[in-house]
Amino acid sequence: MTLERQAPVAGAAAAPAAAPAAAAETEDAFRARLRAFFTARHPGRPPKDPRERVAWTKAWLATLFDHGYAGPGWPAEFGGMELPFGRQVIYQEELARARVPGPLGTGLNIAAPTIIKYGSPEQKRRWLPPMLRGDLVWAQGYSEPEAGSDLPSLRTTARRDGDEYVVNGQKVWTSHAADADVFFALVRTGTRESRQKGITYLVIDAHAPGVQVRPLRDLTGGHLFAEVFFDEVRVPADNRIGAENGGWPLARTSLGHERAAGALNQAAMYRRVLTELEDLARERGQLADPLVRDRLVDLEIRVRIIRYNAQRTIGDILAKGEAGAASSVSRLLITAFEQDIHEFAIDMLGPAGLLGKTAPQAVQRSRWLLGFLRTRASTIGAGTREIQLNTVAEQVLGLPHDPGLPPR
Amino acid sequence: MSVGYSQEHDELREVVREFLRQRSPSPQVRRLIEAELGRDDEVWAMLTGQLGLSGIAVPAQYGGAGYGPVELGIVLEEMGRALLVAPYFSTVVLAGQALAASGDEAAMARWLPGIADGSLTAALAVAEDSGSWDLADVTAAAEPAGDGWTVSGGKLYVVDGHTADLLLVVARTAGGHGVFAVAGDDPGVERARLDALDLTRPLASVTLRDARAVRVGGGRDTAAWLSEVTDRVLAALAAEQLGGAARCLELSVEYAKVREQFGRPIGSFQAIKHKCAILFLEVESGRSAVSQATAAIAADEPDASLAAALAYVHCSAAFTHAAKECIQIHGGIGYTWEHDAHLYLRRAKSSELFLGPPARQRARLAALAGI
Repeated sequence: MTLERQAPVAGAAAAPAAAPAAAAETEDAFRARLRAFFTARHPGRPPKDPRERVAWTKAWLATLFDHGYAGPGWPAEFGGMELPFGRQVIYQEELARARVPGPLGTGLNIAAPTIIKYGSPEQKRRWLPPMLRGDLVWAQGYSEPEAGSDLPSLRTTARRDGDEYVVNGQKVWTSHAADADVFFALVRTGTRESRQKGITYLVIDAHAPGVQVRPLRDLTGGHLFAEVFFDEVRVPADNRIGAENGGWPLARTSLGHERAAGALNQAAMYRRVLTELEDLARERGQLADPLVRDRLVDLEIRVRIIRYNAQRTIGDILAKGEAGAASSVSRLLITAFEQDIHEFAIDMLGPAGLLGKTAPQAVQRSRWLLGFLRTRASTIGAGTREIQLNTVAEQVLGLPHDPGLPPR
Repeated sequence: MSVGYSQEHDELREVVREFLRQRSPSPQVRRLIEAELGRDDEVWAMLTGQLGLSGIAVPAQYGGAGYGPVELGIVLEEMGRALLVAPYFSTVVLAGQALAASGDEAAMARWLPGIADGSLTAALAVAEDSGSWDLADVTAAAEPAGDGWTVSGGKLYVVDGHTADLLLVVARTAGGHGVFAVAGDDPGVERARLDALDLTRPLASVTLRDARAVRVGGGRDTAAWLSEVTDRVLAALAAEQLGGAARCLELSVEYAKVREQFGRPIGSFQAIKHKCAILFLEVESGRSAVSQATAAIAADEPDASLAAALAYVHCSAAFTHAAKECIQIHGGIGYTWEHDAHLYLRRAKSSELFLGPPARQRARLAALAGI
């Protein structure tokens, strides 16, 4: 396995500098310490060049890790802060306030919980610290050209050959694939008819022979995602997480309640975005228009409810140890909100809303137009809105599964 | 961040829900509707006496339990689920909250104990022909007479106004607006139930001709007082709407699980699933908004007015939407008189318009949000 070889960054696997013991520290002191650190170490504005931006983000993630400020919910032995939930909430609040860069790739949010819960001790040691430090960028290999919402129909195969798997097939819509060092993928080890019972969770070196990444141009004109082809790619069998054919239930693991804390971060971000839009309407003299006001009220209600929902979920977790019903709705609310706020912004701007960022007359470097285009993906990626509504209907409300479809 | 209910709150909810399940099931609601009764005396006596629900938000020194908007919200939510027919919203929420915020010790000592023990029903009369709750639109007038006052004018849309023992009437005076207490059976009062949409919550017209009155809360600025009362009323009404919306969703889901067409439950069709899931999003959003609003009022937080208005605007739309979808998901049976769906639609639309057109409520919210 070549992963270790690609993590030569100094201090990558070293234990982070110990932060003051959390137990003795009050919540206010903890908040003040975070705020001071984020302020003192803030990396400033992101570089425009995409390559430079990756390096800039990696440098920030390394700074967090090296000083013991990375992975609020992660176990300490892998470089995390292992904070109790209440402090994870404070961490997210301060993170949102500081406006520092988020993680690179999808490893931290999606792969890490699976590794933490189901990885072997050796896998955890090998993969988790470099992921958290940003030394290695992880990207997800789930969707395929013929397996989108119907993910259990995926066709990329992994054939066992001695102590290796040989992987063949194609993944698609892989975000951050061009920057990725590692793919965490779902591959077929059983028959196609076995569906989710024949799927294995495999970690694949993105630089291994036979791996080819072809950037896809998305509708914004950018290259955030890619197709990934595997042609006789040899993967050590000890890169398998969980059992052979036992990968499916692992794919949607979440770590404790860290998503609930993360929702608060998003709520804070969109609060800020809406205030900026209201300021723009005010500057342009459009706040007196009752139709503009009515649309803004609608967004005000929604952005506040997103925060209230996050707070209620957190309150339930703190008081009762489990997230209540509000937790299952937050993503659906946020994705619809981010689409609607950007579309309303360009509606409000009129023809000026249509100008791209290089046009001299563009408003705010065309951020609203770009957001309008970019957020088309919000209700598609990580499960379409339609599939998520089905999930709420079946798993929360208990409505019956469609008998014409294969069992869940 | 005091959002979230305690175990005691959960227990209160359970007690009220169980009581209403036994004492205000659908056939009972329908009996009261058909008989054009505003309440069942036995149920009212238990609810106010044994359960003490009418005193829940009345301060302890006036015979109440001394709880606040959070507990009142829980009770209202359960009453909204059950479509309870009783003068609770008028007596406890509208008049009771107005009295409790009046700062008028004599008035509170005189009437709050009766509200707390259920022996007194009361109504708050603000709106007139225009339906507006703005003081600027009030034309009823009060004049000093002897050591009291007389009030004249026409009030409309007065919840339980035709039966209330006590009427709290907003009127103009030579020195600004005031609130005046008038006995429901005063010879200067003429009142009648209005033919209106909501069959479970009667509205009345109240005409006053030199009705004898006592001024209430004369020490307070009436606009500031009524604004505070409005926040509490909106939060309570939003809680009631939330309960109604949640019940409409439950009825829809229960039906979609058992009603079969094309050889399968209609709830297995994506079109029905999505309707229900979207209602669930709206109900859960409403639950977050209501708990935020009631907690903000209880803690006297600076954004309490905004939180209350937000909860009301959201829950108004959510309840009406849920009631309409409930009818749609039930199909033909949902359009019948026998099915309860229309009772919820009637309550939903009525409470949505209670304080005026929805657009005006949204404009008010915009102003509160600083837009």
